[in-house]
Amino acid sequence: MSFFESLRQKAPFLDRIAENFTPAITRDEKFKLEYKLPADENILDDTNADLSFVSAFGKLKELQKVKNTNEQAMAYVYSGKLFLTPHYLLFRDSFDHSSCIMVVNLSAVKRVERATSTAYAFSLLVTLYSGSQIVIQFIGLRYRSEQFCAQMKLRLKDNVPNAKELPEFLASCYSEFLLRKNLLRIKDITVPPAGLGQLYKYPGNPTVAKEKAKLRLWFNYFKEHGANIGIVKNHEFQKLIRIGVPNRLRSEIWELCCGSIYLRQAHRGEYERILKDNEGKSSQAVEEIEKDLKRSLPEYSAYQKEEGIQRLRNVLTAYSWKNPDVGYCQAMNIVVAGLLIYMTEEQAFWCLSNICDIYVPGYYSKTMYGTLLDQKVFEAFVKEKMPVLWEHIVKYDIQMSVVSLPWFLSLFFTSMPLEYAFRIMDIFFLYGSKTLFQVSLAILKVNGDDLLEVEDDGMFIAILKNYFHTLSDSAHPDSSDIKYRQITKFQELLVTAFKEFNVITESIVAQERNRFQKSIFQDIETFVKRTQLRHMPKTFNLSQEQLSNIYDIFYQSIESHKISMGTGSSNMEFEIFIQFLSKFCDWSKPSETDNDPSFRKQKRGFLKRLFKKWDSSRIGELTLYDVVSGLDKLITQDLLESINFFFSLYDEDDDNELLREEVLQISEGLLFLTEPWKTGRYVDELTKKSIENGIAESIVKENGSAITVEQISLPSGVTVDEEKYKSEQTERYLEAASNFLQRSFEYAKPLELSEEINLIDLSDDEDTDSGTKQKNYEAMMANAALDPTHPKVLDLATFRMIILADETYELFFTSTFRNSIHVDEQVDPSEGKEKALRNMFDGIIADGKRVAEEVRRRVDSVATKGSIASSESNSQTLNGSSTTSGTSHISASKDDRMDDVDDFTTEHPNEQEELLSTSWIEMDSAPDPSTNQNRTLRAISAETSSDQKDLIEFETN
Amino acid sequence: MNSGITSIKLVLLGEAAVGKSSIVLRFVSNDFTENKEPTIGAAFLTQRVNIGEQTVKFEIWDTAGQERFASLAPMYYRNAQAALVVYDITKPQSFIKARHWVKELHEQASKGIIIALVGNKVDIVSSGGERKVAREEAEKLAEEEGLLFFETSAKTGENVNEVFLGIGEKIPLGRPDEQSGLQNGGVRITDDQRIDLASTGSGAVAASGCNC
Repeated sequence: MSFFESLRQKAPFLDRIAENFTPAITRDEKFKLEYKLPADENILDDTNADLSFVSAFGKLKELQKVKNTNEQAMAYVYSGKLFLTPHYLLFRDSFDHSSCIMVVNLSAVKRVERATSTAYAFSLLVTLYSGSQIVIQFIGLRYRSEQFCAQMKLRLKDNVPNAKELPEFLASCYSEFLLRKNLLRIKDITVPPAGLGQLYKYPGNPTVAKEKAKLRLWFNYFKEHGANIGIVKNHEFQKLIRIGVPNRLRSEIWELCCGSIYLRQAHRGEYERILKDNEGKSSQAVEEIEKDLKRSLPEYSAYQKEEGIQRLRNVLTAYSWKNPDVGYCQAMNIVVAGLLIYMTEEQAFWCLSNICDIYVPGYYSKTMYGTLLDQKVFEAFVKEKMPVLWEHIVKYDIQMSVVSLPWFLSLFFTSMPLEYAFRIMDIFFLYGSKTLFQVSLAILKVNGDDLLEVEDDGMFIAILKNYFHTLSDSAHPDSSDIKYRQITKFQELLVTAFKEFNVITESIVAQERNRFQKSIFQDIETFVKRTQLRHMPKTFNLSQEQLSNIYDIFYQSIESHKISMGTGSSNMEFEIFIQFLSKFCDWSKPSETDNDPSFRKQKRGFLKRLFKKWDSSRIGELTLYDVVSGLDKLITQDLLESINFFFSLYDEDDDNELLREEVLQISEGLLFLTEPWKTGRYVDELTKKSIENGIAESIVKENGSAITVEQISLPSGVTVDEEKYKSEQTERYLEAASNFLQRSFEYAKPLELSEEINLIDLSDDEDTDSGTKQKNYEAMMANAALDPTHPKVLDLATFRMIILADETYELFFTSTFRNSIHVDEQVDPSEGKEKALRNMFDGIIADGKRVAEEVRRRVDSVATKGSIASSESNSQTLNGSSTTSGTSHISASKDDRMDDVDDFTTEHPNEQEELLSTSWIEMDSAPDPSTNQNRTLRAISAETSSDQKDLIEFETN
Repeated sequence: MNSGITSIKLVLLGEAAVGKSSIVLRFVSNDFTENKEPTIGAAFLTQRVNIGEQTVKFEIWDTAGQERFASLAPMYYRNAQAALVVYDITKPQSFIKARHWVKELHEQASKGIIIALVGNKVDIVSSGGERKVAREEAEKLAEEEGLLFFETSAKTGENVNEVFLGIGEKIPLGRPDEQSGLQNGGVRITDDQRIDLASTGSGAVAASGCNC
């Protein structure tokens, strides 16, 4: 016990650990995420190695040419790890993981040979398409190195076909164009396609941004370290990005940093294909996109013209088709409009894809959970890093999200002048979503003193708005130092963001996201549920609480749908519908009978009809709305309505008449629905009544007529013969089923009046039939009444009459069926199968009051032997008395009816036998000790209060 | 706080692109822009008007219209004393959405919130376009739910000021302190609840039963 005690004491602490623990992702996932490789690039092998990269155009090469030597000794050598994936060779230095990152697409490898090595070491010389060379010196066991090489050889072979497509792909890279034009002096080289900015001007002033100088720096970098799909990224690469990428190169650097260049290469042509396949198609997303096209960076001239609008439309719709879970979210239009200033449609498409998947997951989802989560995380950071400001914000109840939410959701495009937003984008693509947090924190920090003065939302917003409009101004206009004076507010912002808030790392962001995720998801689920329930149809029979239960069961059933993330379809397919009903409908619960093919057919037949009936929009799927309105009708209190509904399931043409085939199906449906009672898995009111009578009987017998209700107690000797009641009930249901079929055909009307004469003939036929070979169900099917040449129909009125003529079926539609649908039951995921197979006696609401009343009635009426006798035959009498529209069949002797039952069994001989036997098997397998067939009742204590809910407690041994 | 000024917190709700932001822009700056960028999350503006002897300061929270932003709306209609539920009279779907908003406000927002139903873009009909939401239908909804009702054009300015004046007249003025208080059942905003969708919800859910 003390062990558990101490565990409990530790629990809060453990909770805290769990809170701060980032969910484990696999090494592969981490690897792909870090290097932004496509999802299928799992690590095939890795090894330690030393690597040096000698560019075809680098200084080293020139030196070599001059000296005419072949030594590599002068190249930088990095120690690190080499990874092989299906399409990439990736090297990472082990010094700081950013001094030398090389990502080479295997299709770019031209030749691999063993290097002339100085030592005994095992080295490879890899030559790329560009002529650049990589020297890999393997470290470690020789055979492991050999293994790696063998694996690499296989992969290289696989990638040979891709190499053919390489030139075309490279033609789309501006870096390649720069190198070829300036180094190889190729004249007739086509300029790679560019974004809208090339035609409509890039935002900002090119002279101020020192475009040309920056482009030169990048050219030199490519010369020395390779470019695009064969590049080595080092600290200089990061530095060049931080000072601002030149306009013409932005598209390539962005896609290189965010990894979309790999997607674009791997899925060449897919973008065009998606557009073509979905041309002219409409969807909610397409409509929403259309509304916003002219509202996306409308002040940028390209988006006032059809050309810009069309590009935007293409990218947004293509993405909505590619990722229907996201579809389209406002703010994506602004982000894509921004991307398209620099990128081609295809580049923007893949870039958007990685933004949504890797950079800001969940931001644009249907529930926008990522947005909500990051706002929460941001507030936590503000609270932690700037507690004074945070207190002020809370004190004046300032809704900070009004300003901060657009920073994250539209990546600063709507907040800052575009040229600055793009500078932040450069860094965002390089370092990830932490950049958004760092910059946002810095914005508040820089304006901290002013913000502490504000007293309402309006002032808060105004200060920041003004700040964004003056980002190009000097941060220190009054300084005497000219150098100091030249520092702009934007530069100051970047310094603050990346110096002061460099403590905000990607892993801290991930940790914080994880901390708040659960509560955000819960909030969303609560919100979604509330909203959906609010929009449910008006229900007449279902209460709010029951609606809430149905909602829970509905979405618990559709496992593919994540409410909090808004992914997956929220509609219900037929197979799930079956599982859904089985969670709370007695007749749909899984049972042994499901193994019987003919029963399964009945079950699916009925459920299919129900499904079709509920499917209001005829899409082969049910919405929650459908299910709620359907269930509301199904549990109606109105007997006639209930019968009518059941009839309408089979009356597909709505003419209030069922044809022969439909009559057979409706009887199958009834057979299926009543199965749980037929097999004795549950007891209906009639059986319950007769059991109660039985108990009362015993009490009276035991105590004589002197007993008063207050004294009721049951001696230990009294037993209830469970089996007897069960078989009685089974018999009753079988009988009802057989009567139903018989009467249906007996009372069916001829389809046309002219055939009235036939009716007599037919009924004659039927009589002969029933006289001779009634035992054969087959014969009944072939019966003249069913003869297709003499079609007869069963109309609604007749159907109702037939149902009402049978006590069991009448009761079934009055209450048994309704009560078998447990919309009150709370969802309990732990509910096992055993519980579903309830014991017959557990189903009895052993209503002490009623037993007591029964006893009193007997006592009061001076319990004579006569009354005992009458109660003995109670169920039989009831059976007969309520059959108002009495027929010859009703008054037929019990033996006759048994014959009818036999008729049934000959039709489904195995079925019936199995049904009967299974019910006992179930009984035996039930874990409850009370399943003993003969149950000893020890004592009954009844209360005289009028409260119906008071129960007699059955104490079992 | 200036004793002569009453603040009214007002929120705009409605489907995307029905003209919520344009109505605000017309009211606040008497201006109109054809292709306005969609509101991301929400926007906040203020405007002062004189109603009788009183100066009323409208604190206007303009929200994003797209369906998926709906989960953010509770953050902005929290404590609001008035709401404009806007639809586009040429878009029937936007009227259905307006019904939903009215329902949500009645369930979740402050008790006694003044709601105005606003059918925008009447200029389209005036210039020969087709009206798709009948005035009578909207009037009926307004009657049933106890809403103010206006048809406006943010483009021409028609009826826009009247909406706000109508709201100003409905709200008991002169006691600013009592209005800005805890009208929605005293939901106190703690640090942890700031981005909490359930903040209005959790309190109001329990009370929703007695709303009818």
